[in-house]
Amino acid sequence: MRYFISTNRFLIIFGLLMLLSLSVSMDDAFAEITANANHDHITIDSFYHGSTVSISGFSNPSDADLIIKLTSPDGHQSLRKKGKVASFLWMNTGELKIENVPNAYFLYSTRRIEDILSREEMDKYVIGYPALVKHATINVPAGEEKTKWFNEFIKFKESSKLFNTSVGKISTIKKDRKQDYSISAEWPYQAPPGNYTAQVYAVKDKKVIETAAVNVLVEQVGVVKSLADMAKNNAALYGLISIAVALGAGFGVGMVFRKSGGAH
Amino acid sequence: MFLYLPVALTSINILLPVGLGLLVGVLSGLFGVGGGFLMTPLLIMLGIPSTVAAATDSNQIVAASTSGTYAHWKVGNVDFKMGIYLLVGGFVGGLLGVEAIKVLRAMGNADFVIKITYVVMLGIVGTYMFLESLSSMRNKKSEKVTEQKESKISIFLKSLPFQTHFEKSGVTHSVLVPIFLGTVVGILAAIMGVGGGFLMVPIMFYVLRMPMHVIVGTSLFQILFTCIEVTFLQSYTNHTVDFTLAVLLLLGSSIGAQVGAVFGRKLKGEQLKILLALIVLAVTVKIIFELTLTPSLLLSQAGGH
Repeated sequence: MRYFISTNRFLIIFGLLMLLSLSVSMDDAFAEITANANHDHITIDSFYHGSTVSISGFSNPSDADLIIKLTSPDGHQSLRKKGKVASFLWMNTGELKIENVPNAYFLYSTRRIEDILSREEMDKYVIGYPALVKHATINVPAGEEKTKWFNEFIKFKESSKLFNTSVGKISTIKKDRKQDYSISAEWPYQAPPGNYTAQVYAVKDKKVIETAAVNVLVEQVGVVKSLADMAKNNAALYGLISIAVALGAGFGVGMVFRKSGGAH
Repeated sequence: MFLYLPVALTSINILLPVGLGLLVGVLSGLFGVGGGFLMTPLLIMLGIPSTVAAATDSNQIVAASTSGTYAHWKVGNVDFKMGIYLLVGGFVGGLLGVEAIKVLRAMGNADFVIKITYVVMLGIVGTYMFLESLSSMRNKKSEKVTEQKESKISIFLKSLPFQTHFEKSGVTHSVLVPIFLGTVVGILAAIMGVGGGFLMVPIMFYVLRMPMHVIVGTSLFQILFTCIEVTFLQSYTNHTVDFTLAVLLLLGSSIGAQVGAVFGRKLKGEQLKILLALIVLAVTVKIIFELTLTPSLLLSQAGGH
């Protein structure tokens, strides 16, 4: 009998403990996040001068930090390196080839990435420039040389407006256990046409607890598309038209000046 | 107002390329140069990729040089015969130059050789032109000295076979002379990745002894054909000509070339030479600064010059 009671007690205590631990991890287990792009199809016409990308959704729990990573697919980048020749002349000294790196990389977060995410998680989800370095393959020896050239790469990309990180641009509104978030990010005109992915991460206790993704398509349309296609697919005709127009313009202006007496 | 450039993949305020075209077009009509040494770096500064900047510049030079050649031809300042011989040489030189680049690259340090050649050539041409023009403007006696010096070269040139008279320029030379000089400029232009107008103009003056105003028209005629070839090759092989940007540039440059031609007729040959010498020297100084000052970015897009 004694033995029976103690077993029962043990089971009750065990059950209570399980319930308690379940309620503690409830937030994590039911973590959820959604992402919608209000403007997921950017069209490039003749008068295009950049756009905005608006991403919104909600996250649960409401106290999670948020990170939004907007990137083009990983690919190959080839750039010219400048270095000192004869110890005082700056010249092209070779090519920097980087694999597994996006052409465009925009990162937005509610707080500083280093304060809200562990190094391991940053590497796992390729969040932040240090994670990007580890993820990429560069044709320079590892160590200082690699860090130096990757920093130069970031500098080059940031000056081309194709890489950017910013803190505090995501606005959040808490509602019960959830929080609504939204961001209206400037989309630079320098970003080439293509498919981009906006990945939204809910972060808590330095870990990613949930992710959601939405695609953004940037596409040339109309005359811009026709000209770009022709330059690629019908290059000979494109070249001949370019020359003919230049010749026509040169002669045309010459005739106008002749009639107006400008040349005499 | 902004326009999107389909090949350069960037957006630009239309006033910038039109204004730039106008400025470079004036220089082109005035001095008989393509102006690539000025236009290409300025386009890169405006955010145009270097490969697109160089190729599109060739396209707009077609318009500027057509306009300029037309303006000079109307007043009889184009020596077509001389221009064609120079072109033949330029074509051969271009082919040799491309091979020379391959050899230089195989030897390593090609960029070093190219840049140094460029700076030295520009420096020598600019300084010589400047000093010579200055002394002949100041002192007429110096002209006699120059003539005496040149006479030795003239004797050698006259001893060559295939002598022919170039009516427009009023000079007699062996056809081998313009072909050879065209080849030399063609080789250097191909190695340095420039049109070569700034080299051709002094050579036509000092070696071929052509009158300055005929030089400008003839140089533009030659540049026109070189740039037609380059535009086609760049479109066909590299797909780097931006038609929209070229149209914006040529709107300015074809008008600028006319203005330059009109303005040039009001200047004396010596004045034209000294102004061109100053521009060549300014470009030399700019390149020296570029080579010695630490650049803000150590990376640039692959391709281009």
